[in-house]
Amino acid sequence: MKTPLQSEPLLQTQPLLVAESLGKTVPGPDGELTLLEGIDFTLSPGQSVAITGPSGSGKSTLLGLLAGLDTPTSGQVLLEGKPFSQLDEDGRAIRRGQLCAFVFQHFHLVNDLNALENVMLPLELKGAANPKVTASHWLERVGLEHRLKHFPSTLSGGEQQRVALARAFAVQPRLLFADEPTGSLDHANGGRIGELLFDLNRETGTALVLVTHDEQLAGRCQRHLQLEEGRLFEKPEPGPVSTKEISARDAAP
Amino acid sequence: MIKAWLRPWRDRAFQLLALAIIIAGFALSSIILLHAELEQRFAVRTAEMLGGELTLTGTRAPEPDQRELLKNKPIATVVDFSTVLVHNDELLLVSARAVDDHYPLYGQMQTAQGRFDKAQAAPQGPSPGELWVADQVLDRLNVKPGDRLAIGSKELLLSAVIRQLPDQSAGFYSMSPRIVFNAKDLASTGVLGPGTRITYRQMISGDAATIAKLQDNLDATLRPDQRLEDIENAAVRSMGPLRQLTLWANLAVLLVAMLCGATIYLATSERVARRARLAGLLRSFGAPRRQIISRLLGAEFIAILPASAAGSLLSIGLITIIHQSLDWQGSLAATGVQWLTILIAPLVLWLAFALPRLTALIRVPAIDILNQRNKAKPLSTNIELTAALGAPVLLAGFLTSSLADLGNLLVLLVVLGAGLPALLWPLLKGLDLISGKLPLASRLALRRLSRRPALTLPLLAALTMAMAVIALAGQTGNQLLDEWRSRLPEQAPNHFVLNLFEKDFQVFNQWLDKQEAVTQPLYPIVRGRLTEINGVPVSQAVTKEKENRNEALNRDLALTEAADMLASNKINSGAWHPAKNTVSVEQELADRLGLKLGDKLMFITSRGSVNTEIASLREVDWDTFEPNFYFMFAPGGLAEQDITWLTGFWLPDGDGKRLAELMMQLPHITLLDVNTLLNKANEIIGQASGATALLAVLLMIAAVLVLTAALLGGQAQRGRDNALLRTLGGDRALLYRVTWAEFITLCGSAGLAATIIIFSALYPLTAQLLNDTPTLSYWQLTPLLIGIVVASIGVLASRGALNIPALSLLRDES
Repeated sequence: MKTPLQSEPLLQTQPLLVAESLGKTVPGPDGELTLLEGIDFTLSPGQSVAITGPSGSGKSTLLGLLAGLDTPTSGQVLLEGKPFSQLDEDGRAIRRGQLCAFVFQHFHLVNDLNALENVMLPLELKGAANPKVTASHWLERVGLEHRLKHFPSTLSGGEQQRVALARAFAVQPRLLFADEPTGSLDHANGGRIGELLFDLNRETGTALVLVTHDEQLAGRCQRHLQLEEGRLFEKPEPGPVSTKEISARDAAP
Repeated sequence: MIKAWLRPWRDRAFQLLALAIIIAGFALSSIILLHAELEQRFAVRTAEMLGGELTLTGTRAPEPDQRELLKNKPIATVVDFSTVLVHNDELLLVSARAVDDHYPLYGQMQTAQGRFDKAQAAPQGPSPGELWVADQVLDRLNVKPGDRLAIGSKELLLSAVIRQLPDQSAGFYSMSPRIVFNAKDLASTGVLGPGTRITYRQMISGDAATIAKLQDNLDATLRPDQRLEDIENAAVRSMGPLRQLTLWANLAVLLVAMLCGATIYLATSERVARRARLAGLLRSFGAPRRQIISRLLGAEFIAILPASAAGSLLSIGLITIIHQSLDWQGSLAATGVQWLTILIAPLVLWLAFALPRLTALIRVPAIDILNQRNKAKPLSTNIELTAALGAPVLLAGFLTSSLADLGNLLVLLVVLGAGLPALLWPLLKGLDLISGKLPLASRLALRRLSRRPALTLPLLAALTMAMAVIALAGQTGNQLLDEWRSRLPEQAPNHFVLNLFEKDFQVFNQWLDKQEAVTQPLYPIVRGRLTEINGVPVSQAVTKEKENRNEALNRDLALTEAADMLASNKINSGAWHPAKNTVSVEQELADRLGLKLGDKLMFITSRGSVNTEIASLREVDWDTFEPNFYFMFAPGGLAEQDITWLTGFWLPDGDGKRLAELMMQLPHITLLDVNTLLNKANEIIGQASGATALLAVLLMIAAVLVLTAALLGGQAQRGRDNALLRTLGGDRALLYRVTWAEFITLCGSAGLAATIIIFSALYPLTAQLLNDTPTLSYWQLTPLLIGIVVASIGVLASRGALNIPALSLLRDES
């Protein structure tokens, strides 16, 4: 596993994303079911972190809470030092639109919009100037300048994910959430998309929260966390060292 | 077993499908049942006018061999003749009718206990020794129930006042009031001697086969004075307005069925998508096709049967209620074939629109389970299209009994089916082109619509059709009803006054002013009998056969003169009073007597004779409650004659006291009460109006069903798009704006297309098919109103998709 980058300038800035004692329970057939418990987590601007874990360990739930798609039953999430999880749904959506972007496993392009319009969509939601120019630029950047007017149904899986990447980076987010971005692609395409994701991430200095099964992809992140039975652990360096539960304080760069 | 039946009902797609089957079944069954009822009503009405399915009329009693043929048949006998009624030395010429105990076979007699009492149904004619008389008799002879009056040498007890006889001809051509008494008293009156003009009439009831056989047998035995008349050859009013209304109703019902068909197709597609995994699983377990057919398709068919029955049962319920509320006698009129049609019509829809789709389940390969595809391959489009196009033709065949009507109906359907997509496709593309300059929400909404033509076009077409047909059917239906209503305005005269003299005007007008009665013009009346045509006596000029059919001859007619023609009359040929000494003759009478323009007529009146020349032939609308006349003279044509006056007025029903006051002041006048007839006509108009509204509601429901089914199919995609918008930073208001914009655009486009159709394509078609000129009315606004309702329902139905959590995008729910 790679050693996390801990550059000086990052140390001096405010954490971008903080999770404090985050917990999530849902009602189950035999009473409350705990999905996540006591999650403490801090992400600095520009930092990349991979979250891995077996199926059902709560990866998607955690990503949902961090991105404000869902609300925790205990604890809170802070975005740029401001309460995020306590905001109402619309408040979270607007804040997310200003600061964050997403890449999904199943691409989630709008079928009725062509590639260009799909990339323009978050720009327009944000009220950005010249969305068409920006969107064209980013599609060119991901190598799809010849596919601007194509609809998702006429694009391959790899191409669709590239449109999704262009859509994510076009808004110049401070934080990118990526949920299994290579999960629906074959090995070759998955590799290319992973490459592109980290290239763009590096170029733009966007912070990245990556949920993945792909150990290789996770290994390219500065930090690697593992979810087990609803609790978050720092993934140890390769070797016979047992996992150690982390806290917000000791995980901070 | 029951569980297996009920299982499909838990699925929303199946519920929608079942609802569509119920609505379609209800609409189809109702129209078939109603049509059967109306046709039977029409036949019964004709039979009522005739007095039976077959009548044998003659100037003498039937011969013994004829009596033998008529033996043991349901038969009523009446004897009509003119005679004089005597009371306290006062005489009155009356039209007498002696009836036997079987009279009437059809229809109802209505009588009242006193001059101003309410009418009541009387199942049988008067008992021996009793006499019923028309209102006028009470007025003219100044008698009341309980008095005894004489016909010839027989005194009879006046026991009731006649308000309505089933086979009583309306109109004012006969001036002699009607009386009815029991045939057993006929001989003892002694009035039937040689020279008395008598009509013996045997009215026979029976089914078509019996009547036809009897008619053949009787035909061979007829004397020269005798004639037979059955329903077929009875001169009956054409079913014109009813046919037009039926054509529209058929089209509306067919569209309801087609929209339901679209719903069935969409809901089945959704259902197949949901069942494909099970089909694949069964295949992977080694289930043979036969088993999949019985397990999936068979279960589906059995589960739909209750829905199919429910629609038909609902319609039977509705028609039974109408049947009872209109006091129609007998059981429902539908024939065996019609009942069978009712039973299979909803299933035809299922077979045409659901089955081809469902068969895709048989072809799901087991391998699909492994690669998680689970997508059923539909049958070829050709088969689906053929089934979908065949169904309307078959159903149209169920609905219409004539090839011409079927042709018209199919032409309308083809115009709608082929014309709509051609009209809507450019509209959709146009919307897409202009959307680039619109705000984000509108743009997203427009693209949702314009870039899913496979879903949007049928939906747009369905909504457009529903809107156009509701508007057109509503308008045409209302136009017809308005026409009927205009003949029967709310305060149509419900009383008529005859025998008014000029000297009475002051008293009469004072009384009218006091009652605030709604009055009608006064018509001068001269009683006269047509005696010569072009100088030839009527008896020679008109053949015996023609005369037999003519009750206008050999009796006093009400002749009138007028400067202006009645609004409900129409000149067919000639000109309205070009010269002083001319007359206008009613067309049908002219045809029967062989009269033509320029013929010279002579009438005998109490003052001698009147000579005139026919200047015009007029079409008269006998359904109006206005006084109508066979002969209308030019002003001054009846100047030297004994003139009495006729008028009508409206007073609230049952205001007997006020009428009694009038009779006290002007005892010699004759007062006719037509409330019974008027109420019946108003009731029919009310029912027709209700039927139009019900059809519009059914069409609306069907349109909403299609929309719901389409939404159900696209729900997952819609939910994902909304969740994505939220993930990308869109707030809830944006989602609502997009949804509203989508449905307003959808319904607005449909409304626009419907309006274009109404004003262009279907407008002239209506005029041609219905032989009617559509007029502008508030019905043109219906597309707008329907649009608002449907758009609101669409937004409501999409609420689920608005609330899909953004988190779902992270889970494996693609």
